[in-house]
Amino acid sequence: MLSYIVRRLLLVIVVVWGAATLAFGLLYLSGDPVNLLLPLDASEEARQEMRHAYGFDQPIYVQYARYLYKLTHGDFGTSLRSEEPALGLVLQRMGPTLLLAGWGLLFAVAFGVPAGVLAAVRKGSFVELITMTFALLGQSVPVFWLGLMLILVFGLKLHWLPISGAGSWKHLVLPVITVGTFVTASIARLTRSGVIQELRSDHVRTARAKGLSGRVVVYKHALRNAAIPVVTIIGLQLGALLSGAVITETIFAWPGIGRFVLIAVSQRDFPVVQTTVVVFALMLAFVNLIVDLTYLWLDPRVRYS
Amino acid sequence: MRKNWLFLVFMLLAALPAWAAGDTLVVAQGVDATTLDPVNHQETPTGNIVSNIFDNFYRRLPNGKYEPWLGEAKAEGDLTWELTVRKGVKFHDGEELNAEVLKFNFDRLLDPKKPLKYSTYFKPIEKVEVTGPYTLKITTKKPFPLFLTRLTYLWVVPKKYIEEKGSAYFANHPVGTGPYKFVRWVKDQEIDLVANEDYWAGKPKVKKVVFRPIPEASSRVAELVTGGVDIITNLAPEAMDAVNASGVAEVRTVPSIRNIFVELDVKGTGPLHDPKVRLALNYAVDKEAIVKHVLGGNGVPVGCPLNPYMFGYDAELCKPFPYDPAKAKKLLAEAGYPNGFSFTMGSPSGRYLNDRQIAEAIVGQLAKVGVKVDLKVQEWSTYVGQILHRKIPTDAWLIGWGNAQFDADNTLFTLLYGGSVPGVKATLFDYWHDPEFDKYVIEAQTVVDQAKRKELYKKALERVRAGAPWIFLHQQKDIYGVNKRVKWQPRPDELIWAFDAEIVK
Repeated sequence: MLSYIVRRLLLVIVVVWGAATLAFGLLYLSGDPVNLLLPLDASEEARQEMRHAYGFDQPIYVQYARYLYKLTHGDFGTSLRSEEPALGLVLQRMGPTLLLAGWGLLFAVAFGVPAGVLAAVRKGSFVELITMTFALLGQSVPVFWLGLMLILVFGLKLHWLPISGAGSWKHLVLPVITVGTFVTASIARLTRSGVIQELRSDHVRTARAKGLSGRVVVYKHALRNAAIPVVTIIGLQLGALLSGAVITETIFAWPGIGRFVLIAVSQRDFPVVQTTVVVFALMLAFVNLIVDLTYLWLDPRVRYS
Repeated sequence: MRKNWLFLVFMLLAALPAWAAGDTLVVAQGVDATTLDPVNHQETPTGNIVSNIFDNFYRRLPNGKYEPWLGEAKAEGDLTWELTVRKGVKFHDGEELNAEVLKFNFDRLLDPKKPLKYSTYFKPIEKVEVTGPYTLKITTKKPFPLFLTRLTYLWVVPKKYIEEKGSAYFANHPVGTGPYKFVRWVKDQEIDLVANEDYWAGKPKVKKVVFRPIPEASSRVAELVTGGVDIITNLAPEAMDAVNASGVAEVRTVPSIRNIFVELDVKGTGPLHDPKVRLALNYAVDKEAIVKHVLGGNGVPVGCPLNPYMFGYDAELCKPFPYDPAKAKKLLAEAGYPNGFSFTMGSPSGRYLNDRQIAEAIVGQLAKVGVKVDLKVQEWSTYVGQILHRKIPTDAWLIGWGNAQFDADNTLFTLLYGGSVPGVKATLFDYWHDPEFDKYVIEAQTVVDQAKRKELYKKALERVRAGAPWIFLHQQKDIYGVNKRVKWQPRPDELIWAFDAEIVK
């Protein structure tokens, strides 16, 4: 068990190194950031001065070595735009994004799992038809369209909720629904098929034969077993949630990392983009680790093998 | 009954968010500021915010002219300037503005070890000396006729405060002499300013100003029409009707300092090398139609690289080329292309107002005179990189030029000077070579007498008009959505100066 965790942690390091290198390489291929930092009519002298000040006049392997060296010492560099430490800027925006993604996930589980169970238990009924139609819609509606429609209805027409910005729980409602809907739908569909399969299995028949109540059978015997693929999908969906957050944050002017990094990419703010990639890689690697550990707890077979 | 009650509570709660109200002016732009150091950024949205906290040494007026603001500069011969600093101006923390503080500002900009993003504007300065408590002498390396217009970029920062707290702290907690004091900056959320009641130029009428970044254009419109914000920038032409129909807000526009045009690679021996062909292209593009149908009227056709705000503009020489496909065909035939020819053209997408659509319209119009254009659309940072490294994969490229110095030199020298005057290298934008044009532009750089400069630019424009190195299109308009309760007119330099605004109930 311990060696399993250690092995997984080593893998995290490899993943982060790979992501950092990829981020470095892709950005350096994409052109000289000094072009965007100075006005188009800046003199070549001013450009050279700026390149030298940021170290862009060094050979690329020197820049790469310096970047990795600094990275291992926890130095993520300084934003080219604001000239502040990149890590601070990124972590500052991480909070609102995690808040959004976290509530989105909670929303997805809170609605997705019961909807899936309902559809499975009432298989073939009108209830299933409705639930699954909504699930299908939720998975196919583009995030930006859903966001704009929510703004149109709840912001523009009804004036119930703020359209953009952050600061109170009311600001959170529309973005959470927007970012969570896709995941809700996939969780609902997966829960439904998992529970249906489990309800057909032998141990459920046994449980029924023992005379256990329907609710206990469904929640304790069927759902618990159907939960393994759902947990996997929740882990995987975190990536989807975070990328969905880029669009959602842009529409709702949410002060998170998605929208921040989008601007950083278009402005070629290398240190900020690289830091974001590394922080995301770390985060996703750890979430996957947690998912794997949850397996150990959920599925004895994994534990004993 | 109980349900109704709950509904009522919900409605009351929902009505609480901070709508723009009372004496607060809320401005929504696409992005947040990157820094609040007024001379270390390169973005209009940042400039809009800092212009409320700081004062510049010379101030730009809405008609494009400039006037002394925190002081005055007088030329003493070709290479020296006497600067007098306005007395009685105090920074928000009480520090007094004097010659020492101004010298600190120049030193900060000219420090080669720590270049700031505005340093490039002051490169010709050789030496700055304090000659009295409120006077300075500035010596330049060569005659610097643009000095006064460059002084509009000199947003004056405090000396003591920066020396004590450091530039990094200052960039997040700015202290200036301007009409508004900094209150707080919640990153990517809002920047709050409050009126400086002791402002030397008078009390601001608007008491609080909030700048909010709202990246999505339709969300900005939604906030505007529900009264959530008072001023929004970069309104899309498609949304103009919705804003005007809202009853809450209205559209206000202003011709900007930015011209849109197509640069042509006139080098080599291809068809674009022939001035007749280039003139033909200018007659074959219907500028009026593009402005009307692609831009919703938000442009002014123009037939030269300049526009009326700029020093050196000449109404006669800048008349748009009329749309005349017959004449275009005739010119093409004379040049030896009776059946037209084909070339490739690049365009950015999303950088200028409906840029890609403008390029598509040009393709369609040129096809009518037999000229086939292969259009390549690219993302801005890639596009601008190709231009700056002279690795443009197309024969022509659509681009805009916002000449924020309001002087012909910036456009004509940077974009069209061909490098034929000994000792003055061409910039990386040189494609067209006209030694006579070059002579006029370089001479104008060394003449401090403005009437003489104007004459030189007139001659230079005559050469441009005859050589037609570009397809001239239009001067772009900036479009704002403004709540009707706000008395404010947009400016050509894109600044949103709250000191000019008033909230009428």
